Amino acid sequence: MAKPDTQLPRFQVFLQEKTGQPHQDVGSVHASDPEMALLNARDVFVRRPECTSLWVVLADAIFSKTAQELEEQELGDKGLGDEGVKEESGEVENYYIFYKPKPTGTQTLVGEVPAAAPVEALRLALERFSGDKPPSAWWILPARRVLVSSPDDIESMFAPAQDKKFRLSTDFHTLTEMRRVKSEFGGQ
Amino acid sequence: MNSSLRHALSQHLLALADDELILGHRDSQWCGMAPLLEEDIAFANLALDEIGHALVWYTLLADLAGEDHYIYPDRLVYFRQIADFRNVQLVELPNGDWAFSMLRQYLFDTYETVYLAAAVGSAHQPLAEAAAKIRLEEIYHYRHTSAWVRRLGLGSVESQRRLQAALDKIWPYTGQLFALSPGDEFLVSAGYLPPSTILSSTWKDQVVPFLLDCGLQVPVESGDEDTQTGRFHPPLSRERHTPHLKVLLRELQSVPRLEPQAVW
Repeated sequence: MAKPDTQLPRFQVFLQEKTGQPHQDVGSVHASDPEMALLNARDVFVRRPECTSLWVVLADAIFSKTAQELEEQELGDKGLGDEGVKEESGEVENYYIFYKPKPTGTQTLVGEVPAAAPVEALRLALERFSGDKPPSAWWILPARRVLVSSPDDIESMFAPAQDKKFRLSTDFHTLTEMRRVKSEFGGQ
Repeated sequence: MNSSLRHALSQHLLALADDELILGHRDSQWCGMAPLLEEDIAFANLALDEIGHALVWYTLLADLAGEDHYIYPDRLVYFRQIADFRNVQLVELPNGDWAFSMLRQYLFDTYETVYLAAAVGSAHQPLAEAAAKIRLEEIYHYRHTSAWVRRLGLGSVESQRRLQAALDKIWPYTGQLFALSPGDEFLVSAGYLPPSTILSSTWKDQVVPFLLDCGLQVPVESGDEDTQTGRFHPPLSRERHTPHLKVLLRELQSVPRLEPQAVW
């Protein structure tokens, strides 16, 4: 029997490195709620790299489809996508559209669409954002479920990391130094 | 700067630096032990930030003493005797449980944000500049720790019980944060620092309503009044330490003292 999951809910984290660049998936954090997820995301993902904006969303709120799934089954009523129904509010609302251009790529924000349900948002996304080469996977995020860092947060949450020295482990010359010590003292 | 002002300033910088160093060391002891992976990383970040802030203050102290930026902080941290440390007892206390560590960090972060907000207006330019820089990170610390305290206080019966127990234990130690050090009057009259009473009342006005809002009972209103129960320390001088500091420093200073001449 599988052990019950004792971890807190999982949130997906999206990071924008510079203004004007798209938000991209960087990984996930566990947290009790969106505010804690945003703080955890800062601590886990923004200690070193540049960042101007962070988004977090409950992983369960993401409606996700791969190109292969879309090929194998028709997107429609009672077909693919009906499992996303729990996120429907019944009203038209905004959805953020992310896609992964290649199987090895990263989920990247391409735009947003108004729709009454995730599956409808995906249909619109397929028309608008597919391009010449269809992406390998789509993520559809209901905008109301996404917690977005405020521009006022940049100064205290993201900017201090830029002043800190970032050293790769190779900067410490540990291997060279240990080899030197070893040869000097006979490697006993 | 006359010599009494210079002496008072160096004692003040030492107190700032030692608080950050000892709290940073306590925070680092959570590394690998925190209840959640994400929080383990967050607390290691906090520890690094606090130790980084300590270095900022030690460096100002080196400037004031005409000492080397690189050597002097290490000498103060690794080769000073316990009696010469000027941190408050609050930061010496062992980590206890998660609620204790989080609440201590929250109370200290609030004190620091209040202090730094005032210190950015200091007439001593290097102090004002350092405060402005450190303050940004402390705003984030405050956000993180206050978020946790609220969730522990309003969470389960168990989390609230632990947080209340932590508050009962920690609260008496908070008075020392605002204890006057010899020479503070020179710093205040030179416009280097605001009066400690203003910091203390600003801190309380912020902390007490927040803790009540988190479902906690705040033990007593003011540190100096409750002499009957003896629960509250009168604000002790920063020269007074608990036995815990000795244990902490023995570990912190052990490696450099093995071989003081070693080059790193």
